[in-house]
Amino acid sequence: MTLLAQSQLQETFELNIGPQHPATHGVLRVKVIMDGEYIVKAEPVLGYIHRMHEKMGENRTWNQFWPNLGRLDYLSAIAYNHGYAGLLERAMGIEVPERAEYIRVITVELNRLQSHLLWFGAFILDLGGFTPLMYAFDEREQILDLLESVTGSRLTYCYFRFGGVYNDVDDDFITGTRAFIKRLRPQIPMYHDLVTKNVILMERLVDIGHISADMCRKYGATGPVLRGSGVNFDIRKNEPYSVYPELDFDVPVYHECDSMARYMVRMDEMEQSMRIIEQALDKMPDGPVKAEKAPKILKPPKGDYHFAVEAARGTFSMRTVSDATNTSYRMRLRSPTYSNLSLFEEASRGMLLSDALAFMGSLDLVIPEMDR
Amino acid sequence: MLASEGLPPQKEVVEEVQAAEEGEVDPKAKKKEEEKPRENGLLETDYAKRGFHLDVQVNPDQVVRSAEILDSEGMTMEMVTGVDWLKDGQFEIVYDYSFTGGELFRVVVRCRVDREKPDVPTISEVFGGANWHERETWELFGINFVGHPQLERFLLPDDCDYYPLRKDFKL
Amino acid sequence: MGTESISGIETSVPSSIVQFHMLDQLRALARANSLWPMTFGLACCAIEMMSAGAARFDLSRFGAEVFRPSPRQADLMIVAGTVNKKMLEPVKILYDQMTEPKWVIAMGNCAISGGPFKFKGQYNVIEGVDSFLPVDVYVPGCPPRPEALIEGILELEEKITGTRRWPRVKPETAVKG
Ligand code: SF4
Repeated sequence: MTLLAQSQLQETFELNIGPQHPATHGVLRVKVIMDGEYIVKAEPVLGYIHRMHEKMGENRTWNQFWPNLGRLDYLSAIAYNHGYAGLLERAMGIEVPERAEYIRVITVELNRLQSHLLWFGAFILDLGGFTPLMYAFDEREQILDLLESVTGSRLTYCYFRFGGVYNDVDDDFITGTRAFIKRLRPQIPMYHDLVTKNVILMERLVDIGHISADMCRKYGATGPVLRGSGVNFDIRKNEPYSVYPELDFDVPVYHECDSMARYMVRMDEMEQSMRIIEQALDKMPDGPVKAEKAPKILKPPKGDYHFAVEAARGTFSMRTVSDATNTSYRMRLRSPTYSNLSLFEEASRGMLLSDALAFMGSLDLVIPEMDR
Repeated sequence: MLASEGLPPQKEVVEEVQAAEEGEVDPKAKKKEEEKPRENGLLETDYAKRGFHLDVQVNPDQVVRSAEILDSEGMTMEMVTGVDWLKDGQFEIVYDYSFTGGELFRVVVRCRVDREKPDVPTISEVFGGANWHERETWELFGINFVGHPQLERFLLPDDCDYYPLRKDFKL
Repeated sequence: MGTESISGIETSVPSSIVQFHMLDQLRALARANSLWPMTFGLACCAIEMMSAGAARFDLSRFGAEVFRPSPRQADLMIVAGTVNKKMLEPVKILYDQMTEPKWVIAMGNCAISGGPFKFKGQYNVIEGVDSFLPVDVYVPGCPPRPEALIEGILELEEKITGTRRWPRVKPETAVKG
């Protein structure tokens, strides 16, 4: 607003995008004040899919809350499972068998691959290219098959348990995963050939949607958004959990701060996820997949607990206040896209409307996770 | 990246302010303060058990100052949480900060306000990201963030008149 | 030229006078074979709806792949996800904006009954879209598999035309195959 003199303000108009709009990937609404083609102010309006997850955390027992974790960010649901498992394991001091941790890492990374593939397809679809969606979904279905064979569901996983996982993986899964990695690996350079070097894509992404590292910090943006702004930060490295310290992988960082940088971070992350999966498959020991002494009825000692994981879209952290009963006193879920989107208003100022939608796509939004 | 060098002074900064403003540092064991609402002060917590390194309780009027200190240390605001302590007649507001410049360091700042008059100053001037978090906390708990630019309905419909996460909430 | 009025006349008019029955059937067949769903993803179920339309499941085999973002171009609303109080009004408006004839599929437990978000004292979720929309086909599941959605669309076709175009797959054979 400050950019414009009062006289110019007279000529602005208000535009309403959503809640039913294909570019918002769900039911996000954006109230935009426009000056011609340029955005003066874009204010996201949330709440069209608020599903009371935090309230449910308070009136379900610890075990009954599991299904909700699959439905927050349904695209990287296993990472959310991991967050919840880690939280209670920290609170109760449950030791997790090593094999279970490896299985967790493998499934989380497969899930991350799947999420990035879907984002890739949908993002290019936003920009007007339809074919990559088909390629991406083709690969994605392979992952879903693999995950379905161990977890039993395709999307809303509820696979982890306190102290391990629900089900051991079999040899079919291991060979299938190896074969899949072999299949996916040459696809990524193909995507780059097909899409990344396309002039139209470059025009729409390079130097568009600038987010500085400091803005990320002020707004608490994490994940690929932060790494696309040149900050080398990944919970898997900086606050290691599970068996990530034993695995060798890189954290892709790009310093351009634009939509293209975020795009490249995700594309490179796919390669890293594949590396992690391969190593984890090699290193996975035999043994039980569930802690033997995990209690059936959980009553964590009084106090606050906090646990953070790196989900596909950034840091997902949970904070719970326990009052030593079998339900949580307060369950707070910090979803990454909530913080990532909160900088949209500031970052989109002065942008072309069409660029803003491409920019929004590069933030990789999942609305139900934002509204919780 | 300079996490290990960056951390100790950070602790001290907070400690100093606490000592200066509060005049007390509470190093006692956790057991005691869990019975009653704890005294203001600073606790070093066991990270492996709790998930954060430093736990600070301040007065509501020190919230902004604490945010400024942590901001100058290069920390990120992660979330703002409300907790309804019905039996104490208080709301607790919990601010989670983390350090994203290197090895992670988590600080929790909490403050308690009276349930009847839940006023706490906003930190959205310091951290833009707190804007949405505070707005949400206002909406779900009815905690009034004084000076917040836009305390309007956020997740719930515009016309609803209840605070669903209060413990005495009934539809 | 509403279908109802013609079929209503049909019984009382002598057979020699021109009838539109065949024409109606033809129209119904045409409609059933080219349903245009609205891209109306609300939550998790929407991803399975996307999967149904994308590679592998390929909804276009059944002529229903033309997902339209605008309600004015669509004749099938697939409510895929949770509807809450804030979303209620927009859904109603979207339904009203669709042109006749139009159908509604409630996809997923949320759209059918509130699904996993129905509990005592809940404050925000609408427990079933059939409380304010005329639902034609219910597709249960959380989320339903893409095959289930396709089956739902075939059910709807059957409802429109009165005959089933594709053989019904028996569960036993499906498991073996
Ligand atoms: S029915 Fe299940 S999968 Fe579908 S929207 Fe509801 S919670 Fe999500």
